[in-house]
Amino acid sequence: MSSKTTGYKLTKADLRQINIRNLVGFQAGWNYERMQHSGYLWIILPQLRKIYGDNTEALKTACRTQCSPFFNTSNFLNTIITGIDLAIEETEGIDGLETVASLKTGLMGPLASIGDSIFGSLLPTIFGALAANMAMAGNPLGIFIWIASCVVVDWFRCKQTYIAYDQGMKLVTTMSDKLNAITDAATVMGVFMVGALISTNVGIVLTINPNIGGVPLDVQDILNNICPKLVPAALVGFVYWLLGRKGMTSTKAIFIVLVLGVVLGALELVAKG
Amino acid sequence: MIQWWQILLLTLYAGFQIMDELHWYSSAGSAVFSGFITGLIMGDMATGLFIGGSMQLTILGVGTFGGASRIDANSGTLIATAFAVSAGMDPEQALAALGVPVAAILVYTDILGRMANTFWGHACDADVEKMNWNAYNIHYWMGAVSWCLSRMIPVFLALAFGQPLVEAITTALNGDLAWLGTGLTVAGGMLPAVGFAILLRYLPVKKHIAYLILGFVIAALLGTAFTSIATVGGDAATIAGALNGLLPEDAAVAVGGGYKNLSMLTVALIGFALAYIYYQQHQNAPVAAVSAGAEGDDDDEL
Repeated sequence: MSSKTTGYKLTKADLRQINIRNLVGFQAGWNYERMQHSGYLWIILPQLRKIYGDNTEALKTACRTQCSPFFNTSNFLNTIITGIDLAIEETEGIDGLETVASLKTGLMGPLASIGDSIFGSLLPTIFGALAANMAMAGNPLGIFIWIASCVVVDWFRCKQTYIAYDQGMKLVTTMSDKLNAITDAATVMGVFMVGALISTNVGIVLTINPNIGGVPLDVQDILNNICPKLVPAALVGFVYWLLGRKGMTSTKAIFIVLVLGVVLGALELVAKG
Repeated sequence: MIQWWQILLLTLYAGFQIMDELHWYSSAGSAVFSGFITGLIMGDMATGLFIGGSMQLTILGVGTFGGASRIDANSGTLIATAFAVSAGMDPEQALAALGVPVAAILVYTDILGRMANTFWGHACDADVEKMNWNAYNIHYWMGAVSWCLSRMIPVFLALAFGQPLVEAITTALNGDLAWLGTGLTVAGGMLPAVGFAILLRYLPVKKHIAYLILGFVIAALLGTAFTSIATVGGDAATIAGALNGLLPEDAAVAVGGGYKNLSMLTVALIGFALAYIYYQQHQNAPVAAVSAGAEGDDDDEL
């Protein structure tokens, strides 16, 4: 064993332990300086100890290489990197650490953008909006539908560790094409849902009734004849434009809308509807 | 008044929800769930669901891309719901007057927690050098303590000491400041617009504009139709009720039944069908665009 390993081969139980640690505490140590660095090591620590043996210099080198550098990726896809990493380390030992380090740096960015867009943004949008919409009508069922979808996602997060460990680097190339098509189709649904939600969940109507030539004009009624829910659509368009301006953050936008709502409501130009 | 056991349960939930969101991700770390559970604990699920649902929509597009701190909607919902129930505040006003400001302030405890963890990160480095794995586990898990306390402490303080303040606000909003109360109600109805706009900034909206229009028009038309049907149904029931008073009992007209609102689940199925068609048409052609950041130069903080 020139690579200074004990020759240990990971078992299904090892991968299960990694999955459990991943689901229970991968981001507990998240910090501004190096984000998930200590978490990456924590979830594979028992396995590294088996691969290199306790109290060996090799173990210390391996752990240092894993824990010291900055690491941050999607917490939904991180075990893909972990699986490939361990497949390399158990055969090559510390000789493989250089490969592992570049693998981690190389994959964390792309995986973060895929994971953030599918699991961090689209699924919470679709299921969260559904749950929120039903909740506002007093029905908690949507929340349970969301939980069910999360169980499926968690199953997938566990499954991918095994796949990554078995297939190694090959996985990355086969995966990317299919994922792109899925992501793109999912954005179609996301955009559609946002459109539907704008009309059902932005609850405002105009209450301006100006007198034109002595005839009171019901502006909202006229707008309804053009297309229902035009006012909510206009408001979303306004905030969309607002967010495109320099120095604008989501928190600022929320407060601008809050103040706008209070003013328009207090002047009785706009009412809840 | 909020009971001590309610404060205890809510504080525990505040710690639990951030761990959930960071790790196993069951959706218990979402605003709508926070409203649901707070409503249950406070004994008024409907209020909790309403505030949680509104808050969920408000922050719909606010992600945690690249580890940026975001508005703490879960704690905001928790506080707003707890006080809406205990002080008898209007849910919409509680959302706008309590939920949003609390959520914005608590961004700073989130930042504090993440900063504290830098210290534990260095402790972990030192443990690696000593190969002291028990210490590593402990120092690593101290990070979870920072995470939980960054939520639990402010929530506990607000619940334990906020009641008089919130009661004063509620009295004012129903009295001298009634105009502000009206304004806050309108603002509560407007807030979800922000969530949708943020989301549209992240989605490739120019490419998929047709689907945005479809979703909007289908839901706008159906929603209006369903509301009208429900109104007609209600009117018919009122007329039938008045009529039945005049008729002999065996000739009574039965009017009733379920006039439901538009089911969002059904609309979502239309969206799913469209997405499926799109997938089938495009799965063989490699598509390069990844949605996040496709619109260019937006701040990570969004």
